[in-house]
Amino acid sequence: MPRWRRYLRFWGPDAAADVDEEFRFHVEERIEELIARGLDARSAREEVMRGFGDIEQVKWACQVLALEKETAMRRSEWLDALTQDVVLSFRQMRSNLSLTAAAMLTVALGIGGTTAIFSVVNAVLLRPLPYQDAERVVYIWETFREFDGRASVGHFHDWTEQTGVFEATAAWQARTYNLTNDGDPMRIVGARVTPRWFEVSFMTPEIGRYFQPDELNARVVVLSHGLWQERYGGDRSIVGRDIILNGEAHTVIGVTPAAYTLSEFEERLWTPFPLVFAPAERHNYGSHGLLVLGKLKPGITLERAQAELHRVTEGIRARQPDAMTARGVRAETMRAALIGNWQTQLYVLLGAVSFVLLIACGNVASLLLARATTRRKEIAIRGALGGGRGRLIRQLLTESLVLAVAGGAAGMLVASLGIRFLVGMGPSGVPRLQEAALDANVLGFALAATLLSGLIFGLAPALRATRTDLQSVLREGGKTSRGSARDRLRGVLVVTEIAVALVLLVSAGLFIRSALIVNRIPLGFTADDVTMLRIALPQDRYSEIAVVNQTFARMLERLRAVPGVERVAFSTRVPLWGPSIDIGLTVQGKTFEDGQSPIAHVRLNSAEFLQTLQIPLKRGRLLTESDLGAGAPSVVVINETLARSAFGDANPIGQRVYGWTSRENPEWREIVGVVGDVRAFGREADTPPEIFIPHTKAPGEAWTAFQRSVTFVVKGRGAVTPLALRQAIAAVDPQLPLYDVQTMNEVLAQSTAVRRFNTMLLALLGMTGLVLSAIGVYGVIAFFVTQRRHEIGVRLALGATTRNVVGLVLGQGALLTGLGVLLGGGAAFAATRVLDSLLFQVQPLDPVTYAACAALLAIVALCATLIPARRAARVHPVESLNAS
Amino acid sequence: MKSELLHGTLEIMILKTLSWGPMHGYGIRGWIEQLSGGALQIEEGSLYPALYRLERKGWIESEWGYSEKNRRAKYYSLSEEGRRELRAGTRLWSGFAQAVGQVLSAKGQPV
Repeated sequence: MPRWRRYLRFWGPDAAADVDEEFRFHVEERIEELIARGLDARSAREEVMRGFGDIEQVKWACQVLALEKETAMRRSEWLDALTQDVVLSFRQMRSNLSLTAAAMLTVALGIGGTTAIFSVVNAVLLRPLPYQDAERVVYIWETFREFDGRASVGHFHDWTEQTGVFEATAAWQARTYNLTNDGDPMRIVGARVTPRWFEVSFMTPEIGRYFQPDELNARVVVLSHGLWQERYGGDRSIVGRDIILNGEAHTVIGVTPAAYTLSEFEERLWTPFPLVFAPAERHNYGSHGLLVLGKLKPGITLERAQAELHRVTEGIRARQPDAMTARGVRAETMRAALIGNWQTQLYVLLGAVSFVLLIACGNVASLLLARATTRRKEIAIRGALGGGRGRLIRQLLTESLVLAVAGGAAGMLVASLGIRFLVGMGPSGVPRLQEAALDANVLGFALAATLLSGLIFGLAPALRATRTDLQSVLREGGKTSRGSARDRLRGVLVVTEIAVALVLLVSAGLFIRSALIVNRIPLGFTADDVTMLRIALPQDRYSEIAVVNQTFARMLERLRAVPGVERVAFSTRVPLWGPSIDIGLTVQGKTFEDGQSPIAHVRLNSAEFLQTLQIPLKRGRLLTESDLGAGAPSVVVINETLARSAFGDANPIGQRVYGWTSRENPEWREIVGVVGDVRAFGREADTPPEIFIPHTKAPGEAWTAFQRSVTFVVKGRGAVTPLALRQAIAAVDPQLPLYDVQTMNEVLAQSTAVRRFNTMLLALLGMTGLVLSAIGVYGVIAFFVTQRRHEIGVRLALGATTRNVVGLVLGQGALLTGLGVLLGGGAAFAATRVLDSLLFQVQPLDPVTYAACAALLAIVALCATLIPARRAARVHPVESLNAS
Repeated sequence: MKSELLHGTLEIMILKTLSWGPMHGYGIRGWIEQLSGGALQIEEGSLYPALYRLERKGWIESEWGYSEKNRRAKYYSLSEEGRRELRAGTRLWSGFAQAVGQVLSAKGQPV
């Protein structure tokens, strides 16, 4: 048999045989006809065959045409069948509206929630960073002990000049600017950068250009897209104009595109770095203030760069052993530096919401299984009428997919609401969170999730339903029977749901416990009724340090006079707020081993600062007005952490320390008091060692380092309004922009925003999982009761008590719940490990959380069982006997 | 004028014969021969591919049945689409034949 014959047979009726038969008939008829006309048999046959010409050729042509027709018909038949399936599905959906609505809503919530979270994952994690060759950009940290930190000018230069693995490097330092022309004075967070900054993180400028290599000392500025829009209304003629920054005219040379800025906390303008790169600074390895970025040459790996940086840094260590104590170098990709922090949290959320979707699929599958049971007669008859099993499965699967797609479409509404919620409520500072949207990627994900869900919840019911034995169904008159196998399948479904729900609940529980622990951490100060405002004095008008001190003192007086103000003070840093600069301390008469000498975070403050925040005094005395006077001796107050690290158990009062001044001419300061520790960097961060210095006694370079800025803390109730505070400041200097007027409690809330947001979302997802799985339990048990009405009736008739019946039903529920909890506990054991880095002082295997969540789940599931159990108890023996 | 029949001509003649009712290939051949007064003897080598082509286009349909002598034969019948094609083709063909006729029966050279 030639190959194509087999092919033809495979596709359908044998075309070759058909053509043969047709031709045979023709030939025989014609020969008879010709014989009747008088020809002999042989010449008649010859005559007929002449008409056919090459008969094999003709046959072949006819077979090919027949095959083509067959294929075309199959295709259109298949489309017809699909249309028919879809139409049938819609009819099916309409005929059972409440079931359809329940299933659709479940799918919509599942798909919508998953899609919303995925859109955030997509926006923050999956999309590539917008910069050119972003995969080659690395952050270079000068490490101190195990911490990544800023680098010195000397390090920056050596890394740039001696490694040879970078195409370009750049240094960055945050700076605040007072922008004073073209409208109200404005306080802007910007950055000073080396000219090649925009080569490292390159995006084509919106307008204008970036810095030239020789513009290190030029008075030029690049604006961010946001600032350009906000302050200049997107006016393109801004390029070439002068703006006044900190009292000096700077020419705008360009504007970055909108996508350049990844989060709202980033700098809004850039100026070149003049001071730090003065020749005298070239070999400064001691002060660490630069964020260093490098763009790797093509083909250079991170490991190679790391090795080179290490080699150069070891060279520095050989020359400058003092400066390099406990210091090293580490490079990481820009991606890891910018979004590494968010990765685990977002994937945990995505995982959690996928779990909810799984539970939702379980419930829909369970609903469809229940319906399939009531449709057994229909399906059996369709089977008997010649619908093959494959055809029936396809019909049922189409129904599930139509249901899934309808639910998924509704889910897009849920998703867009969800995205709005996540973007609006999400903690600030998440890079590119604002850009989360229903874009092509996200819609593709939603479609895939929808189809997959349809398959997941459709396949089992379809396979199960079509296995029905026609005879038994018809014998029972189409009534539902025990169908124990189907019960088992639904049981498996509900056990899985409970298990998944437990994993969710335990995760949420661990987060909640962490949040509770965090909130119980004492702050060490009183934040109630405290308002904060930040002031920075521009260097051009306040170059004299004495004037700076006088001005702050005058502002203090004005603020104190505002009605309602009880106490007022200022400091360069208040807890959670303001720049923190650490210095190495030398203790008189005491030597420390290498790397062990104490480090202190410096705060310059007014006399009553510690009193205003009610930071408790532990030893000695607090600072007073008299410590500020010109003739007064230099005194300081330290916190307990510093006391411990510098003096151990010894009494620090009366000890003398110095920092910031040269070894040759030390300015000794006497410790007069020790105060309690304050969570200066937030509840979850360790307390830093702190030293409090009266502001009038600070060296000039300290004020330069702090950029002549302080934060006022105003304690007072009710009448203290931001307006009154602004007026008080304006009375001293009307040109000063006043920014960030906030209550301390607001700032505190922001500091735990990420944790609260994660906890809230996980708790929400956990509750959803709990409710959905409870509905699942209810559905299965209710079905169990309906199916066993007859049996229950018989039992009651034979003398069983209602207690026995309720016990039977509850037993079923308890069995399913128990299995689910066991399974879920095991799964949670494995799953919650990934949460470890997100928890706070709670172990991922925290037994209390596990027990509480398992108990909660068990109670809710048993409550869901109770309703059908009560219904079972009300079955009347006679009624159920009649029912059959 | 035996084998040079244009595809289109043969097809429209087949459609015409089928417009009276279903018929097998042998019958179609006989009818065309009769109707043309024996002038057109359709060769089987053209007839059958034409029939399969028409069926492929959906203008005719086929079904196995039994002939007058009770033999199994494949009967072709006109589909709705084929009926439309027959009407359109007839108009076209008559117009064409008339035009050709006019040209061939012309008495003088055109000016």
